[in-house]
Amino acid sequence: MTTDVSQRFLARDNVYLPHIAVIEKIIDETPGVVTLHFNFKDEKLREEFTFKPGQFGEYSVFGIGEATFCISSSPTRRDHLEFAVQRVGKVTNALHRLDVGAEMGFRGPYGNGFPLDSFTGKNLVFVAGGIGLAPLRSLIWNVIDDRDKYEKIDIVYGARSPADLCFKYDLDAWGNDSSINMVTTVDKGDASWTGREGFVPQVLEQAAPSARNAVAIVCGPPIMIRFTFPVLEKLGFTPEQMFTTLEKRMKCGIGKCGRCNIGNLYVCRDGPVFSFAQIKGFISSEY
Amino acid sequence: MEQRLRSEVKALLKQGKIDRVIGFEPGSLKFTTTPLITSDGDDVDRLVINPFIVNNLSVYLTGTSGRVGIVAKGCDSRSIVSLIQDNKVLRENVVIIGIPCSGVIDLTKVERLAGKDRDELDDIVHQGDKITVTVDGKKKEFPASEALFDNCLGCEFPTPREYDILLDEPVTPTPDKAISEQKLDSLREMPQEQRWQFWKEEFSRCIRCYACRNVCPACFCERCFVEESEPQWVLPVPRWQDNLIFQVIRSIHVAGRCTDCGECERACPVNIPLRSLTREMDNLVEELFHYKVGIDKEAPPLFIAYELEEAEDLIR
Amino acid sequence: MADSKRINKEDIGRLLDEWSKEFSVSVPSRENGMPAVLPWDGKDTSFLEWYRNTVIPPKANFFPPYEKMFDFQKEAEGYHLELPPSDKQKYLIFGIRPCDARALTMLDTVFQDTYQDPYYLSRRANTVLVGLGCTNPYDSCFCTSLGIGPGESTDVDLMFTDTGDGFFIEPVSDKGRELLAATGGVEDTLEADEARAKDVKKAAYRKIIRRVDTGDIQQRLAACFENQDYWEKVAAKCVSCGICTFLCPTCYCFDINDELSQDEGTRFRSWDSCSFPIYTRMPMENPRQEKWRRVRQKVCHKYWFYPTNLDITACTGCGRCIRLCPVNWDITQTLNNLPASS
Repeated sequence: MTTDVSQRFLARDNVYLPHIAVIEKIIDETPGVVTLHFNFKDEKLREEFTFKPGQFGEYSVFGIGEATFCISSSPTRRDHLEFAVQRVGKVTNALHRLDVGAEMGFRGPYGNGFPLDSFTGKNLVFVAGGIGLAPLRSLIWNVIDDRDKYEKIDIVYGARSPADLCFKYDLDAWGNDSSINMVTTVDKGDASWTGREGFVPQVLEQAAPSARNAVAIVCGPPIMIRFTFPVLEKLGFTPEQMFTTLEKRMKCGIGKCGRCNIGNLYVCRDGPVFSFAQIKGFISSEY
Repeated sequence: MEQRLRSEVKALLKQGKIDRVIGFEPGSLKFTTTPLITSDGDDVDRLVINPFIVNNLSVYLTGTSGRVGIVAKGCDSRSIVSLIQDNKVLRENVVIIGIPCSGVIDLTKVERLAGKDRDELDDIVHQGDKITVTVDGKKKEFPASEALFDNCLGCEFPTPREYDILLDEPVTPTPDKAISEQKLDSLREMPQEQRWQFWKEEFSRCIRCYACRNVCPACFCERCFVEESEPQWVLPVPRWQDNLIFQVIRSIHVAGRCTDCGECERACPVNIPLRSLTREMDNLVEELFHYKVGIDKEAPPLFIAYELEEAEDLIR
Repeated sequence: MADSKRINKEDIGRLLDEWSKEFSVSVPSRENGMPAVLPWDGKDTSFLEWYRNTVIPPKANFFPPYEKMFDFQKEAEGYHLELPPSDKQKYLIFGIRPCDARALTMLDTVFQDTYQDPYYLSRRANTVLVGLGCTNPYDSCFCTSLGIGPGESTDVDLMFTDTGDGFFIEPVSDKGRELLAATGGVEDTLEADEARAKDVKKAAYRKIIRRVDTGDIQQRLAACFENQDYWEKVAAKCVSCGICTFLCPTCYCFDINDELSQDEGTRFRSWDSCSFPIYTRMPMENPRQEKWRRVRQKVCHKYWFYPTNLDITACTGCGRCIRLCPVNWDITQTLNNLPASS
C-alpha cells in the first residue's frame, strides 16, 4: 500500500491536478535519453516535498499528455529533483523538446518505494540495464549518503553499446568509490571501448556476488530481468531476497484507472517495487 | 442444409482438408446464434443454420493460420472474396461452405412488431414471405419484409458466388432497393442542416466501443487510425465531433470493401443507424467506379489498383 | 415495516413532480429504442410499462463516458490550471435496479480507496438513489448467483416494489428515510401491502433462470490461469470491442488524454477497456497482445483479483454483457465450464 506521505502533496484537494514545476537543467545521457532537473514553482512545496527512492511521478506536458517516470535523484539531495526520459512516443518526445525554464506538471510521489529499512546491515547487489539504472540510482545515492547503515555494495550495469550508457558521471563516481564494486559492461563495444563486453546476466554470473546476508535489486528491459533472476537464483538468492521495479503502461498512477495490474497487484500502488516472491506466480504470464 | 453441413465438415476435418471450422451454433439466449470456432470433430454436431445466423464470420479470417472451413451467407462470401483480393487470406486456405440465404431476422424489428422483448417471445418462424411470431401461445403473422434486416431486403447476391460447397439450391435474388433504403431515403430528403443535426444527435450517444469496427471484416488494419498518437488524428474522447469523424473516416476506409452485411449497425449497442452511412458509401462506389464489392477474386482491390486509362467522370 | 409507505401508480407523475422541486430527477427513458437513465421531461411516466433495464448503466451518471478533468492556459507568468466548477445541484435517480445499485457501492470502494476521486464522489454525495425492484428480469440476468436479488437492495436510499396497482415504498438509508418523511402524497401501508410486496419479491427471485456456480471461483480461476488452451478456446469468438466493459455497471477503467489548441486546452478522462489490444501497450512490448490474455484478464479481474483486494466480486449479474455482445460471448458459460485444473 502507498504511504501516507503522498496524500500531503495534493494540489487543491484534487488527486489528478498536477503541481507546476520548472525545468532547471537538461543533461543528454544518450542519443535517446535525457535527464531533466526540475523544481516546483511553489516555494512551500519545494521545501516540504519528500519521497522514497523507487517512487515515481506522473509528469505532464500540458496539451500532450502525462507519462510515468521514477524520480531518479535521491531524497537525501533535495536542492532539485531529477527524472530520466527515453524518447519513444508522443509525451516523451514532447519532454525532450522542453527547454530550460519550461513548465511542466508533476503529480506524486506515487508507489511504494524500496523497503530501505529492511536493507540495513545487508550487502546490496544492484543489477541494471540501460535506462533501468534510473530508479536504482536514487537508491544508490541514498545508500551512499547513509553509508554506515549498509555493508558491501556491488553494482553491475550494462547497456547495448558505449553510447547507450546512462549516467556516465555516476558510473565514474561509483567506480572511484573504494567501498563500491562497480562493474560496467556493454553488449557490444566500439572502437574506443576498453571495458568489458557481455550481457548483464552473464557478467553478473561472472562477478558472482554472494547471496549471504544480501539483497539484489534488478531493473532493466524485461528480457534482461527475465534472464537475471535465474542467475541470482543460481547464486543462492531466494525470491524474498530479489527485488525489482516494474514498468507498465500507466495513466492515473493511483490505482484507479485499472490498467497497470499484474494479477491482483497494481504496479502503481502495490509497486512499482516488488520482491520476486510477490510476482512469481504471474511473471511468466505477464512478462 | 444443417445435416449436410455437419457431415461435410466432419469429412473435411477427418480428411485433414481443414484444421478448423468457423460456423454457427445455438447461442445462450433465445433466438440467438453464436460463432463456433473449433477443430474438434465432436463439436461439429453443434453447427446450425437458422434465420438467426447474423454474424459475418469472415471477420475471423484475417490473421488466422492454417486452413479454415467457413460457413458463409451471400454477403459473407463476398467479404471473403474482398479479403482474398486484399491478400488477407489465401483462397487455397479457405474452404467456403456457402449458404443460399433467404434473409436473416432482425430481432429489433420483431420486438417492435410483437410489442414484446426477444426473451418474452415463444417462437419466431420464417417461411417464404411470412414471419410467424408466437407470443403467449398466440400466433401472429407478418410479411417477411417487415422483419428481415434492411440490407437483406435489398440483397442482390443472396447465394454465394465463390464457394467450395453449396449447401442448397441457389436462391433467386429479389432485391427491393426502395424498402431496403427507406432510412437512407428519409435522410436524403432532409435539408442539409437538419441532416447535420440528426447525425450530431446520433453520435452524441456513441461511446466508442468500436464494436462497429471490430465486427467488420473490412476493418482489418492491425493498427486503426484512431489508435495513432503521433499524429493524434482523433481523440479517444467520445464527444459527438470525435465520434462523427471516426465513423465518417471509417466509412470512407471501408469503401470498396463493404458488402452491406449490416453487422456494424446490428452490433451498435446505442442504436446508431450506421448502415445508412456505409450503404450510401457503397452506392457511391457503385455509381462512381462501376464496382460491386466481392464479385471477382482476381480483381485488384478498388482503391489500390491504378490504370492509366481510368474513368474520370468522377472528377467534377 | 413501520416507516414504509405506498403510492398508486397513477400518482407517480405527481411524486416525481414534487421531488423535482428539490432535485434534478432522472428516470428510465427510451429515446431511439435505447433505454437509458435520462433527465425526466416532467410528463412522461410510460417507462412504468416497458422498463426492464437500461443499456447504458447508471454508472454513467457518476462516471460519465467522458468528462473534463481540468482546463489549462499558458499565460505570461506560466501555466494556469482551472478545475471545472463544482456542481452544487442535487440529483435523484428513479428506478435504479438492485444490480446497478450494488455496482455503485462497488465503484465507491474503487474511487475512495487510498485516494479520493473528486469527480465521482461529489456526484455520488449529491445523488439520491430510488431503487425499483424487478418484476420481469431478462433471460440474461444472473444477479442471484452474486448474492443479490432482483427485489431487494441495501445499496439504495429508497426501495420501490411494484405491487401491480401501486408501489410499496421502503426507506433503506437515513437519507432515504428523511426524504420519505418529507414527501407528501404517500399513504401508510397495511399488513396486506407488505405481504404482497414480499410475494412480488419472491416471484422475481424465482424468475432468474441463469446461474453461475460462484463457489470456489477464485481457486478455480487460479488453477486454470496458465491454461492457454482453455483461454484461447474461450476467447476465440471475442472481437475485442468494448461493449461488455463499457456497459458493465462495475467496470471503471479509464483513459486520460490532453487536447491542445494554441496555448490552452483540456485534460479529459474517458472510458477505456481492458479488451482493447492497445490498453496495455508500451513502446517496447505489449503484455496483453494476444486476445486470450485480455479475455482472461477481464474474467479474472472480476471474479478473482478484485475480490482478493476488496472482498466483493466485480460483477452484479446484470447480464448486459451477455445481452449486448455482438457475438453472444457469455461469461456465465466461461465460468461454469472452468476446467478442474490446468
